[in-house]
Amino acid sequence: MTAFLIRRAALAIVTLFAVLTFVFVIVRILPGDPAQLILGDQASREAIEALHVRLGLDQPIALQYASFLGNALRGDWGVSMVTGQPVLAEVLSVLPWTIDLTLVSLALGIVIGVPLGVWAAVRRNRFVDYVVRIASLAGLSFPAFVSAVILLFLFAIEWRWFPVISARKGSLGAWTQSITLPAISLGLNSAAYITRVTRSAMLEVLSEDYVRTARAKGAPERIVVWRHALRNALIPIITVAGLYMSTLIGNSVLTEIVFSRPGLGKLIVGALSQRDYTMLQGMMVIYTLAVVVVNLLSDLAYGFVDPRVKLG
Amino acid sequence: MRKIFAAGLVVAALLTGNEAQAQKKTLVIGMGSADAGKLDPHIASTTPDKGLLQYIFNGLVRMKPGQISPDTIEPDLAESWTANPAGTEWTFHIRHGVQCHANYGEFTAEDAAYSIKRAANKATSSYSNDFSSVASADVVDQYTLKITLKNPVAGFLGYVANINGGNMVCKNAAEEMGDGFSKKPIGTGPFMFAEYQPQQYVRLVANKQYFRGAPMLDEIMYRYIPSDSSRDLAFQAGELDMIYGKQDQSWVDRTKQMPGVKVLAMEPGELSTLFLNITEKPLDDIRVREAIAYGVDRKAIVAFKGAGTSREAVSVVPSGYLGTDERAPLFPYDPVKAKALLKEAGYPDGLTVKTIHTTLTGMETFIEAIQAQLKKIGVTLDVQLVEHATYHSQIRKDLSPLVHYQAARFPIADVYLTQFYDSASIVGTPKAVTNFSHCNVADDEIRAARIETDPAKQKELWKTAQEKIIEAVCGVPVYEQLQLWAWKDNLDLGYDLKGSLNLAPPVTEKTHFLN
Repeated sequence: MTAFLIRRAALAIVTLFAVLTFVFVIVRILPGDPAQLILGDQASREAIEALHVRLGLDQPIALQYASFLGNALRGDWGVSMVTGQPVLAEVLSVLPWTIDLTLVSLALGIVIGVPLGVWAAVRRNRFVDYVVRIASLAGLSFPAFVSAVILLFLFAIEWRWFPVISARKGSLGAWTQSITLPAISLGLNSAAYITRVTRSAMLEVLSEDYVRTARAKGAPERIVVWRHALRNALIPIITVAGLYMSTLIGNSVLTEIVFSRPGLGKLIVGALSQRDYTMLQGMMVIYTLAVVVVNLLSDLAYGFVDPRVKLG
Repeated sequence: MRKIFAAGLVVAALLTGNEAQAQKKTLVIGMGSADAGKLDPHIASTTPDKGLLQYIFNGLVRMKPGQISPDTIEPDLAESWTANPAGTEWTFHIRHGVQCHANYGEFTAEDAAYSIKRAANKATSSYSNDFSSVASADVVDQYTLKITLKNPVAGFLGYVANINGGNMVCKNAAEEMGDGFSKKPIGTGPFMFAEYQPQQYVRLVANKQYFRGAPMLDEIMYRYIPSDSSRDLAFQAGELDMIYGKQDQSWVDRTKQMPGVKVLAMEPGELSTLFLNITEKPLDDIRVREAIAYGVDRKAIVAFKGAGTSREAVSVVPSGYLGTDERAPLFPYDPVKAKALLKEAGYPDGLTVKTIHTTLTGMETFIEAIQAQLKKIGVTLDVQLVEHATYHSQIRKDLSPLVHYQAARFPIADVYLTQFYDSASIVGTPKAVTNFSHCNVADDEIRAARIETDPAKQKELWKTAQEKIIEAVCGVPVYEQLQLWAWKDNLDLGYDLKGSLNLAPPVTEKTHFLN
C-alpha cells in the first residue's frame, strides 16, 4: 500500500512537470499580449512595453521558464497578471464553489443513475429498459446550458422558487437555494451517463455463473441483484464516476455562466481570454493535481469494494 | 407525519427566503462581464471597470451627469478655474473640505497634482499619452493647483474631467497601497468601495460625507453576469434593477415589452470603421480603396443593425464630437462606379482582400454583412476569424490589410484623429496607438488643430483633416453602435440620461427608488 502510494506520487510529479512545461510553452505561443489587454486600446506602445518590463515578459523565454520553475518549486505560483492577486488566493476564493457543485451533482448522478441502471438491466428489453435507455440518451445529448435556461425559466421566473443568480451563501437555506438548479442541470447529465454504465456493467454481471448459482440456491431476487450482482458491477461504475468528476470540474463553465456562479471554469476562461500567463499556469497545475487525486481515490476505492484488488 | 410536515415547513421557509423590505435603498446593477479587471481609474479601459469606477471617483471638472458633450463641463473637485490667454497655464481652485474615502484625509491640491502626475506616468497609467503636453502640475497652495502645458491642448478640460486619466485619486491611499490600490480604490465620489467577491460582485456603500450631500441610496451592488440571457432573466425576476443590454436590436424590442421597464440606447456611439492599409498591395492603389468605399452601403447596414440602436456614420470621426464635420463628403453607395474603378485598376474579375477579425458576436455579424456587400462589386473579403485577444494582437502587427475596428473616444475630434489617423500613431512604431491604415495625409492639420487656440480656425483645420482622410480613403466609416441599457422605472436616476462617457449610466447622490 505504501509502495503503491509512493509510486503514484512519483508519477504525479512527473505528470505535473510535463504539464507545467507544456502549459508554459503553449500560453506563450498563443498570439495575444497580456500587457495590451490590461492597458486597453488607447495605451501607446511605450506604455505597453513598460508593462512588459514590469511583468518580466521582456526577458528571454528560457530565463522566464527557469524563474517560473524555481518559484513553482518553492510553492510560489506568482500573482495574476491582471488582478495582481496571488494565483493561489484567486483559485482558493472560487474553489469551494466548484467543489460543492461537482460533489452535489455527482451525488445526484449516482443516486439517480445507479438504481435506474440496475432497474433497466434487470428488465432488459422490456418497456422500462427502453424508457430508461431513451431517457438517458436524451440526457446525454441535451446540452447543459439549454437545460439550465429551461430550469431557470420554469423555477426562477414562472414559479419563483429559486433565484436566477444562483450564488447565495451564508446559511444552509441560501446554499440550498443556490445549488439546487445548477446541481440538477449538471446532475441530470451525469445521471444519464452513470445510468448507461451501470446498465451495461449489470448486464454483464447478471449473466455470470455465480449469479445463476445464487438464484439456483434460492436466494431472493432482491439479494441476488443488489448484493451479489451490483457489488461486482461497481468497479466500472466507480471508474466512470471518477473520470466523470474530472470532466465535471472542467466542464462546469457553462453552468457557472448561466447560473452566475463563481467557479474554476470561469476563472480559466477569463485567464485565457486575458492571456493571464501566471494564472493559466497555476490553474493547470491545480487541474492536473485534481485529476491525479481523483484517479488515486478511485484506485483506492477499487481496493475498498473489491478485496481481490491488491494495491502494492 | 407531523414531523415530516414540520420539516417541510422549515424547508419551505428556507427556500422562500425573506425578501420583505421597506424602502429600497440598494441599487443592483447587472454588468455583462465575468469579473472585475483592474479597478484603478488610470488603467481601467473596459466598459465594466470604467462604469463602476465612475461612482467612486471625481474629476477636477465633470460632464453634467447624463451628458457627454464637453459643452456641459461643470465644476467637480475644482470650484473654479482660469487659463492664460495662450491656454498654456491653467489654475484650478479646489473645493474646500472634500474628504477622501476611508479617512484618508482632505482632498487638496497636493492630491490633484499627484493624480495628474500619476495619470501622465506610463508606468502607472494607460492614458499617459493624453498628458504628453503637460509640463508640470504644481501645488500653489493647499487649494490651488497650477498645470503648465508645453503647448495649448484642444479641449484640455476634458483631460481633467471625470473619465480615464482625469479621475482624481487620493495621494495617501495610492502611495500607501501601491499595486494594492486597484483592489481597494479610494476616491472622493458619492460611493465608496466596500467589498469585492471574485466573479460575483463589487459592493459600494454610500459616502455620507460626499461634498454634494449624502447619497439617497445606501448601497450599489455591481454584479458580474456574463450571460445575456441570465442577466435578462434576473432582471425580469427582480433580482437586478439595471442591466447592461445585449447589444442588438432584438434585445431592445423584447425588453421594451416588459412592464415597468425603461430601455435606452445611449451615447456615445461607437464608430465602426474599415481601415485600409494604404501601404500594402492591392490597397495601396487609391482606385481599389475608392471602389471599396463606393461598395459599402451604410443605409443597408443600419437597417440590418436596427435603426433604434445604430445610425449611419457621418465622417471619419463619430458624430457629435467637438470638431466633427457632420456633413463630411463620405463616398455614396455606388456599385457601378466601384466596379468601373476596379476594372480601371486592373481587376476586371475582382480581387480578394484579407481581414483578420474578432469572433465578438456583434462585430462578427457586421463583417459578414460587409462581406456580402463587397461581393457585389467583385471584392472577395477573406474573413479570418480569431478570438478577441488574438485579433487585438495581430491587427497591431500589420497582418490584416483591412481592419474593422469599433471605438468611441473622448468627444473631441483631436482624440480620434490622433489615435487613428496621425502618422505618429501607426501600429508598430514607438508611439503606436491604433493607426492601422498607415494614414499620413492629414498630419499637418491634425497637429496644427491640436494647438490652435482660435476655435473657428481649429474647427476649419479639423474639417480639412477629415476631408483629406476621406479623400485618401484611409478608413471607410460605416455606422455607429449605441450603448444599450435598461432599468426599472421605479428608479429615479435624478438627472436626464442621454449618455455617459464612462459607458454606464451615472449613479449620483440624487439617484433613488420611488417606492
